[in-house]
Amino acid sequence: MSLHLAGLGWVTPLGATIEEVWEKLLGGAEAEASTLADSLGERSCQAYQVAPASTAEASRHPRLRRSSAISRFAVVAGLQALRDAGLELDEASAARTALIFAISNGGVIYTKRFFHEIVKSGAAAASPLLFPETVFNAPASHLAAILGLTGASYTLVGDGAVGILALKMAEDLMANPELDRCLVVGAEEADWLLCDAYRHWRLIRAAPPLEPFAARPRGMILSEGAGAVVLAREGALTLEQIHPGGNFARRSELARELAVIARDLQTGGATDLVIASANGTFIDAAESAVSANHFAGAAVYTPKPALGESVAAGALWQLICAAQALRRQELPPLLHAAANPGLTTARIPGKNRWRRAVVMTCGLNQQVAGLALRGD
Amino acid sequence: MPAEQNHENKKETRVAVVAAGIVSPLGAGFEATLETLRRARDCVSPVTRFSVEQCRCTSAGQVEDAWLAGAVPNDRRTRRLHRASRMMICALAELLEQAPDFRPELTIVGTTSGGMSFGEQYYRALQQPEARAAKFPEWIANYPPQKPAVDALETCRLASPCQVIANACASGTNAIGHAFECIRSGRYERILTGGYDALSELVFVGFDSLQAATPEKCRPFDSARSGLVLGEGAALLALENFAAAEARGAQILAEITGYGISTDNHHLTQPHPSGIGPRQAMERALQSAGLAPEAIGYVNAHGTATPFNDAAEGRAIAELLGRVPVSSTKGMMGHSLGAAGAIEAVLTMLALRHGFLPANLNFRVADAGLDLDIVANQVRPAAAPLAALSNSFGFGGTNASIVLAALAA
Repeated sequence: MSLHLAGLGWVTPLGATIEEVWEKLLGGAEAEASTLADSLGERSCQAYQVAPASTAEASRHPRLRRSSAISRFAVVAGLQALRDAGLELDEASAARTALIFAISNGGVIYTKRFFHEIVKSGAAAASPLLFPETVFNAPASHLAAILGLTGASYTLVGDGAVGILALKMAEDLMANPELDRCLVVGAEEADWLLCDAYRHWRLIRAAPPLEPFAARPRGMILSEGAGAVVLAREGALTLEQIHPGGNFARRSELARELAVIARDLQTGGATDLVIASANGTFIDAAESAVSANHFAGAAVYTPKPALGESVAAGALWQLICAAQALRRQELPPLLHAAANPGLTTARIPGKNRWRRAVVMTCGLNQQVAGLALRGD
Repeated sequence: MPAEQNHENKKETRVAVVAAGIVSPLGAGFEATLETLRRARDCVSPVTRFSVEQCRCTSAGQVEDAWLAGAVPNDRRTRRLHRASRMMICALAELLEQAPDFRPELTIVGTTSGGMSFGEQYYRALQQPEARAAKFPEWIANYPPQKPAVDALETCRLASPCQVIANACASGTNAIGHAFECIRSGRYERILTGGYDALSELVFVGFDSLQAATPEKCRPFDSARSGLVLGEGAALLALENFAAAEARGAQILAEITGYGISTDNHHLTQPHPSGIGPRQAMERALQSAGLAPEAIGYVNAHGTATPFNDAAEGRAIAELLGRVPVSSTKGMMGHSLGAAGAIEAVLTMLALRHGFLPANLNFRVADAGLDLDIVANQVRPAAAPLAALSNSFGFGGTNASIVLAALAA
């Protein structure tokens, strides 16, 4: 079975159309950090947020009136990917479309608000309006309702690798000939509470820049948004291999687990590009080593210094970057990376066209996955 | 047997359940669970894990920590794990006792909230200036919803990619159903599947705030039903290509023969009153199994005992299947959310293998609007093999049904 990328969509802190954001990335732009703070201003952090204008389209949908930001990101990215694929779903085509939603932290803003009332005033103060939006599959439900999907809809939870796990699930679902396509969406929203948690875990830094592949990891900058792809049976870009992923028990085992995936992806042929998930944390060293050992000579790029770490959305953003690089035969500059003799950072192909890209995703909580994408 | 007839026609890969493990308010392990199920004992009790002083509902089905202690190693690493992880380890250990050589190529499990109570502890601590931050990293690292699945695999030394489905209360059945389809398509030989959830204050208060939880007894399909009580637990099933399992002489507990999924876009938390969502899920499960409605001998209903859910589901069952025996086991143990579908699949399998249909507890007066044959309050004899439907429906309009045929013990 051959699976192809038929449509792309994203909502990022740099904008909300594929070409707009890609041009900015090519130009070396990076998102502007804003301050997220608790109500008393006692806890704050710097994060990359999505501009309200980027999700204006979502405000037209009555279903999203009370929804959290994550649902709006997801809807805008999902609709954009369908448009990019030239699709307008009717009842018949919606019935042959599945939705797979990847999520990590979920609707953290409403969850925090809901629980805050319980902590502050007791259970009697809990809001029945907020609670349904705290459920992990609320964004998928809103998107399915807006698209009129009545068949398979799955929300997958996980860490930064969950986007690729969702693509793997889509590949398995597409074994069913009654499905023509799968819309895979990853989304996340930023909040000071998440920054605070990552700070306690020593994975975040106080302010940009996010420096990938540094000898001493200084931490990531959190961001938000959504990425969406339409997987179909035809298209110019082929999802050649999606590794089902693995788990690492200790950070010291990450490189070994990632190498297993890399070896598997290597069997598909020469790799021209590696789109890494390096985000200024412990995962960078593993990705750097595996890239050097298994994909020597491939140009390595991570969009995270420009777009931040958006966890579940991040893997979809990486895939979109891989697709754009194969389509356009050009990579954005790798921002804030120290010179590293093991990493090739070419921005355009050498003698031959770029034909194959590997996307690696390492989560911060034990999951790891990867895939290979082939251009025509 | 209906499933065999089906597969003679469709020539598709059959899917066997070769082992399972369970921990729920009914007990830990097959033996304890079967005994409680047979006696139709009410296992709902006052909530002890957090304050429910301001809630309408004050009871839940709860798993006793002592049940988990024996199954979970007592070392530095596991002492830090969330209760949901301990439940998963307990269920997986039982499964591996039955099938020590089972090595899944993929793990597909369901949950709604994973280690939520660690997130609650963390947030409460943040509100206290004197709080010691030493525990924070531990809570944060063990809070993510996928962690209990990864922890269980690691503790039991299984290496498997892991997909964790969070489709609200349908998660467990969705996980089993998707695992079934993955094997039936021929893409996989062995998959570990199931679901887990542990009680958490946030979720408990959430259902209470919606007035979906009852201050009284949980009475599925009763005319005076007033809502659900929550529960917790974990259940796992080892699924394998039937022919491969048979060839190696594995015990086969049951066969999964069909799966249906539907999405009802009516409302985020309420089903369409027509029952279209549940009906489509059941119809698709029957179609997937190649069975006519008359072939179904028992329905383990989602049956949360909320007025809306039971009305929609009851209508769909009556319209599609007629007066087939129906029970919801939630009256006995509460609604364990992401674990519910997996626990109920195991309960259905156990009961049918031992020749009875599980009881629908706390049933007093039939709902005049629902023409159902409820297995009221006491178990009823049944002969395996029997094709049964197990239903799970969730927030977000997700509906899932599986068809299983249990083999006699």
